[in-house]
Amino acid sequence: MPAWPLPLRLIHWASAALVIGALGLGTYMVQFVQNPAERFDLTQTHKGIGVTVFALTVVRLCLRALKIARKPNGFAPWLLLAAKATHISLYALLLLLPLSGWLMATTTPVRVPTSVFGLFELPYALAPHLLVYRFAQAVHVAAAVALGVLMILHIAAALVHALWWRSRTFAP
Amino acid sequence: MMPAPDLQTCHRQVAALTFAVTFCVGTYSAISSQSWRIDETRTAIGFKIDATGFPTTRGHFLHFTGRIRIDFDHPAQSLTNFTVDSASVDVGSRSYNEFVKSSVLLDVARFPTVSFTSTRVEKLDPRTASVIGNLTMLGVTRQIALKVNVETERSGNGRAVAFFATGSIKRSEFGMIFGIPLIDDTLEITVKTRALTDE
Repeated sequence: MPAWPLPLRLIHWASAALVIGALGLGTYMVQFVQNPAERFDLTQTHKGIGVTVFALTVVRLCLRALKIARKPNGFAPWLLLAAKATHISLYALLLLLPLSGWLMATTTPVRVPTSVFGLFELPYALAPHLLVYRFAQAVHVAAAVALGVLMILHIAAALVHALWWRSRTFAP
Repeated sequence: MMPAPDLQTCHRQVAALTFAVTFCVGTYSAISSQSWRIDETRTAIGFKIDATGFPTTRGHFLHFTGRIRIDFDHPAQSLTNFTVDSASVDVGSRSYNEFVKSSVLLDVARFPTVSFTSTRVEKLDPRTASVIGNLTMLGVTRQIALKVNVETERSGNGRAVAFFATGSIKRSEFGMIFGIPLIDDTLEITVKTRALTDE
């Protein structure tokens, strides 16, 4: 299979690093950080990463629309379907995570301005609403768990491609 | 429950109360109010506020002024007042400080100080007093009560009185409603201070 265009590959690996960072940071800051100032600062960083992932994903989907992925040959239909479902789900989660996070930030009664790495402030479109916030939080956490699981599946599949099937998955 | 002042106001109030208590509790002497001074290096005006889904925030104010008049013979005539510089709030990081200083909380641009002035001091027992006073925060003045523990000690050639005052306020009564109910309405105030005299 031919390699993806360079911009898509760059966005893929940048997203991978940022998503792993955001998932790790989000879990760490909520589960382990009991210093309020540290939690406050880490939350700002987490939100900044999320905005970046969202922007990268939008650009990525636009580029992706221009490039038709070639259908691989010689794989069982169920495997192709599983791959397609996983990829669509990954894209959906890359949008859902930042969007549910933004919904949390905009509807929480504890509304804190989201400064994206000091560059600009994220708009808050909705009024604070505790129930909506709780819903957004549940979605955010569930989506984070789902993204973590699918990432593991995605990485495992890539390793199977590279090490077992000897396909050119990681070829430059 | 007395009305709650904002954090800074609380601090000031607490300090004022503490001073008043000290005056009340001590033995009477001819010490004038002017002869007592606050040992600022031994003074800490702090607060604590709990939240749901967020760690408890403890903070303090770096800049404040205060006065104390202690009348050990007539505790009820003791007085104190404190003024805290709102912008000197410290909750642990620069960005967190800026948020606490913003318009949704201390609103330091519009309300640069929080102040407390005692109106009544009641001696509860030889080491404890209740200091009632007015806390002004966000332009709202409410009566609050502080419980003050008092300890007298020798200090070089003079005397010192250490105070530890605690109290709590409902910040919503001062118009500080941000984050309720995820951030508690109740704000705890603690003031540790020491008054010195050379006599």
